[in-house]
Amino acid sequence: MKVVVIGAHLHRTDIEPLAEAVPAGALWLSGISVDDNQPLGDRDLLLRVANVRAALLERATFVAIRYGFAADVAKVTPYLAKWQQLLEAHRDHVEMTLKVAAAAPLPRPDRRDYASGAGYLRALHASAAEIDPRFREAAEARIGGIERRWTPRDNASVEMAALVERADVARVIEAGQSLKRDFPEVPFLLSGPWPLEVFADDHQ
Amino acid sequence: MNDQSAEDLSLLETLDHLLDRGVVISGEAVISIGDVDLLYLGLNIVLANVDAIVRTARRT
Amino acid sequence: MITNDEARLREALTFTESTIPERISADPEVVENGLARLVLSIIELVRRLLEKQALRRMDAGNLSEEEIERLGSALMKLEEKMGEMKQVFGLTDEDLNLSLGPVKTLD
Repeated sequence: MKVVVIGAHLHRTDIEPLAEAVPAGALWLSGISVDDNQPLGDRDLLLRVANVRAALLERATFVAIRYGFAADVAKVTPYLAKWQQLLEAHRDHVEMTLKVAAAAPLPRPDRRDYASGAGYLRALHASAAEIDPRFREAAEARIGGIERRWTPRDNASVEMAALVERADVARVIEAGQSLKRDFPEVPFLLSGPWPLEVFADDHQ
Repeated sequence: MNDQSAEDLSLLETLDHLLDRGVVISGEAVISIGDVDLLYLGLNIVLANVDAIVRTARRT
Repeated sequence: MITNDEARLREALTFTESTIPERISADPEVVENGLARLVLSIIELVRRLLEKQALRRMDAGNLSEEEIERLGSALMKLEEKMGEMKQVFGLTDEDLNLSLGPVKTLD
């Protein structure tokens, strides 16, 4: 049996009985036991994990671990201190995600057009999707929250992750409705709440 | 928007969050193909030296 | 979840279903190609993760000129190597975009 890990949590009671709790230092990992032979690319397993993830989030915020890892306490040890810090700081916070499609996607730069790595990376950076600045401003202002991060997705869309108080989620959803009314021509998708994903993942 | 398409989009979004988010812990991700698990050892180098990836790519 | 213009969203937003391998047959020729496809999909995943990280760090403005050159260079080389391997195995970008099949609703 292997345990497909879902996230890192502060308390065992945040996890059981929805999923299995694996002790990891001062924290706990949540997971689902599957046969050693169980393929991870299985639709039913994916849906099951997605459902458990949602149920766990209703209990308490956790650090989301990328799908596909088998629980191995030794491997997570280097991260535990940081995760504990995050979990204590964001006990009552969740993430909301806003995905926005660009009006006119820019073409991806062709690496053969660039002699230097710096030139290519800069071109990649510049070709990231642009969205209507008025929409962007309105989204930031109306969604608000504790912190917001715009992350590049690809040439055709951008994404904003917002860290918000749990109690604020209903208001954020209302803000989404108002954006939909005021910007009918901008295709976007507001979803959530989600566990700590973007805000747990600041790669140095 | 019909109910089915809204549900589909919601499912896609849920799966997108599941598959494309979350912290990457160094070590192995167990990827499966058919009934066989293939251990992929490479994800730890996402967190480390970029050159290592290029060297690995050159060797294969 | 709140959306606007679902049709355009589906086109514009690439949902990451593509990292999940399909089941493959036991036929040795197919198995070999299946393995190649899996390996390349994984490398493509790493490449995309790296690219995302690099762009995020550029946004944050915390890359030295040297790091920008090294990261950009590595990304270019990875892409080039991916291109070669796809040719060797006769795989296209579409082949590497494995989908989960028709979308099923949650129970």
